[in-house]
Amino acid sequence: MATLVLHPENQIQRLNVLVNKVENLQAMHPHILTTPPSPKAWSIVEIIAHLSISYGHYRDKVERTLAQSPTATPESNVVSARLWQKFVIEGQRPKGNRRRWKMKTLKKFEPLLPRENLSRQKLDEVFATFKTLHEHLKQSILASRQRDMSRIKITSAIGPIVNFYLPECFEFLLCHAERHMVQIQEILDSQS
Amino acid sequence: MDDQAYGLLKSFFPQVRFTAEQESRFRGVWTEKCFDRYALITEAGNTERYFYFVLEGVQALYILNDRGEKVVLGFSYAGSPSGVFDSFVSRQASSTFLEALKPSRMLAINLGDYLALFELFPDFHAWGHLFFRNVLFGRLSREVELLTLSAEERYVAFMQRCPKELKAIPQKYLASYLNMKPETFSRLRSSVRY
Repeated sequence: MATLVLHPENQIQRLNVLVNKVENLQAMHPHILTTPPSPKAWSIVEIIAHLSISYGHYRDKVERTLAQSPTATPESNVVSARLWQKFVIEGQRPKGNRRRWKMKTLKKFEPLLPRENLSRQKLDEVFATFKTLHEHLKQSILASRQRDMSRIKITSAIGPIVNFYLPECFEFLLCHAERHMVQIQEILDSQS
Repeated sequence: MDDQAYGLLKSFFPQVRFTAEQESRFRGVWTEKCFDRYALITEAGNTERYFYFVLEGVQALYILNDRGEKVVLGFSYAGSPSGVFDSFVSRQASSTFLEALKPSRMLAINLGDYLALFELFPDFHAWGHLFFRNVLFGRLSREVELLTLSAEERYVAFMQRCPKELKAIPQKYLASYLNMKPETFSRLRSSVRY
């Protein structure tokens, strides 16, 4: 299996693209944002809320790990994903416009939004939370460029079955978010 | 901006003549920005907001290849322009990064003010003509070098013309710019005189 080298600049570029896409979504009509493609599926705004919940489970761990990690220069700071972690990451990464390995979401990651009468203000709050949390993620990736990321592992939000060094964690979160952006595009396509 | 910085900036626009009032306006549209070493001045995926003029430091402009590795397209340094110009003008997300390889002090102008310079001061068209001609000639010359010269010839040509401050940046950036492996660059550095 080929090595998965994790470059923070690559992660920053992908995160910027993703955040810009979400910003564009915010301008859409509330009906588009709140209508799920089927009763059991999530709407666009629920997906955005889910992404915030997901990163929320990592934010404090990421902050603590960065604070405890010694400084390093970006040139000497290239990390490769370990085998099991790479498998978990690749399970999330969409292949083109396809989501592979569809799975049931754990209760703790489910968005708890009312399905009826979601106000514009509430929608804007969901987008604002996403923006704040993902700005935190970006600042964390930027900070990781000058920290030795090969010292401290964190337990993933899935449980101790998966642990991550921070670059692996960032990659997992990005692939997870990119996967949901494919899902959002599917919803938009179904509505057009 | 202090007088020394302004003098350096003004020398970058030798074709432009100002009245005292115009000069005050011109000077007022530039803001000084400082960046630490390794700071990403412009991130790919975001839109470039400024055209820069470099007062101090060295910056690398690079794109990431499909393996996420940096491919260096060019450098900027004291006295040269900097920024991701295509993104700046088109207002489209940049596909390239601009990174400070040394602590950097730069003067920045936003797009509205940049475009207004051409409206307010006709001399800027003469500057623009020469500036873009030089940029085009520089890119053509680099393309010819990359396509026709050997690694050693590229190394010699670059080292003969590059300013001293560029020689002090990490070798991997210079190697990437010259389209060679860092090991090749290192070998040439220890064995070739220029």
